[in-house]
Amino acid sequence: MSPLLQLSNVELYYDRVYALKRVSLDLNEGETVALIGANGAGKSSILRAITGLRRIRSGSIEFRGERIDGMAPDAIVKLGIAMVPEGRRVFPHMSVRDNLLMGAFARRDAAGIRATLEGVLHRFPRLRERYRQAAGTMSGGEQQMLVIGRALMARPTLLLLDEPSLGIAPKLVQDIARSIVAINRDERVSVLLVEQNSRMALRISERAYALSTGSVALSGASAELLADERVKQLYLGGEL
Amino acid sequence: MAANATPDRRSMEQVIANGLYLGAQYALVALGLTLIFALMNVLNFAHGQMYVLGGFITYWVYGRLGLPFVVALAASAVTLAAVGAAVEVLLFRTVIRRSVREESTMLLAAGIAYFLDAVILLLFGEKQRGVPKIVMGVFDWDNLIMPYDRILVGGLAVVFIVAFMLFMQYSRPGRAMRALAQDRVAAQLMGVQVDRYSMIGFALGALLAGVVGGLLAAITGVNSGIGGPISIKAFLMVMIGGAGVVGGAIAGGFVLGMLESVGLTVLHSYGDITYLVIFAGLMVFLSIRPQGLMGKPWG
Repeated sequence: MSPLLQLSNVELYYDRVYALKRVSLDLNEGETVALIGANGAGKSSILRAITGLRRIRSGSIEFRGERIDGMAPDAIVKLGIAMVPEGRRVFPHMSVRDNLLMGAFARRDAAGIRATLEGVLHRFPRLRERYRQAAGTMSGGEQQMLVIGRALMARPTLLLLDEPSLGIAPKLVQDIARSIVAINRDERVSVLLVEQNSRMALRISERAYALSTGSVALSGASAELLADERVKQLYLGGEL
Repeated sequence: MAANATPDRRSMEQVIANGLYLGAQYALVALGLTLIFALMNVLNFAHGQMYVLGGFITYWVYGRLGLPFVVALAASAVTLAAVGAAVEVLLFRTVIRRSVREESTMLLAAGIAYFLDAVILLLFGEKQRGVPKIVMGVFDWDNLIMPYDRILVGGLAVVFIVAFMLFMQYSRPGRAMRALAQDRVAAQLMGVQVDRYSMIGFALGALLAGVVGGLLAAITGVNSGIGGPISIKAFLMVMIGGAGVVGGAIAGGFVLGMLESVGLTVLHSYGDITYLVIFAGLMVFLSIRPQGLMGKPWG
């Protein structure tokens, strides 16, 4: 069976500076795959390429065996790829409710949207408490829950998460990690997780790719990478 | 015939009623301008000309062709929506795609303003044009005198303001436009088609300008020279209220309407200095509060 998502030799440039150099990676249905690496290693660029926010220069991106590179972001969302962007990016002056409804913007099935909404509010009871509140007035952790819920409103097959633990209180990072695991398990959503908190990312993923200056430096089962001496030195050093 | 009571005899009620009437029109003009700004970061210097075009279309359809006023107003709305959509798709979209500098869209907007001025002059001439009254009679109550047509036009403006707000708050396109204004990238990730909603937003903003033009053509008439001054008033209101904020545009509209009404009464004996005083006041106000009354990205 072919993988759900496959990047082959993807190259991406910002003006004349390359951000990704011959990156190949894949993700199978139901998997949680982590992308780890230092700041500027190209992790976020990979997500921007998948969602269509950035055009790739060469290579290909396939989702369910179909080329999606070159498609517009709104068309890619409709295929079932939802993204939780870096820095959360809630719609600050809109209510929690309207933020969640925006997540279902690409859908037209009113009854289905209501059911998904109920599911999201059940998963994150905090959002129900804050239902009419402006999203910009909530705490960082609550906003993170909101944007994960917003992405789930699209009822995605593939969920892309960009640095969900960034700027979140350490206690809440555990909660976020737990909900990612739960979402992957309950909703049969495949997850591509970009994280600077490599330890957390490796603990909750099956496989991982370690990036360095725009290309894949290491890849393999997360448990093995977690024990690997090179990974410990390069990506886990200093933490804990 | 007491419609024009002499200014020095105007009562407090009269001044307030005039201010509210003016404010409702102004708020509608400012809403269109602020919508376009919030959505596309474009200062539409041609807003006043769009207003004038709307006025002339109502003059033509209602005054010349003799069709009902409602039809004329709808014609103004539809024409201006089409003009707005065309201007966005054919001009702003290409310029924004090719240039990241903000001056480019400003120059384009200024160019469109001059172009529309010329087109309006060519099509409709330089004469002041008026139309038959849409309703006869005057509301006369003690200290307050208000012709019925003004009451009707003021009421219609309020209805349009409320309809616009409900549309932005509760409809799917309204939600998409608010999202786009608040976070362009996040909105794209939700599946909002930036091109489509930029066009809808621009069309809606121009439509509002055209509708007010049509409304006011029925009261004060219209002439080809007032586009620029109307644009300036619209920018004043948006600066008073805060750019890109719905509540700010409405507040700015009513504040300016009220200032104008009060100024025309109180300062009458000193000559035509109302706007001089308003500009001076605005400079002081903006140096203290540059973001306006409610300045933030979007309400």
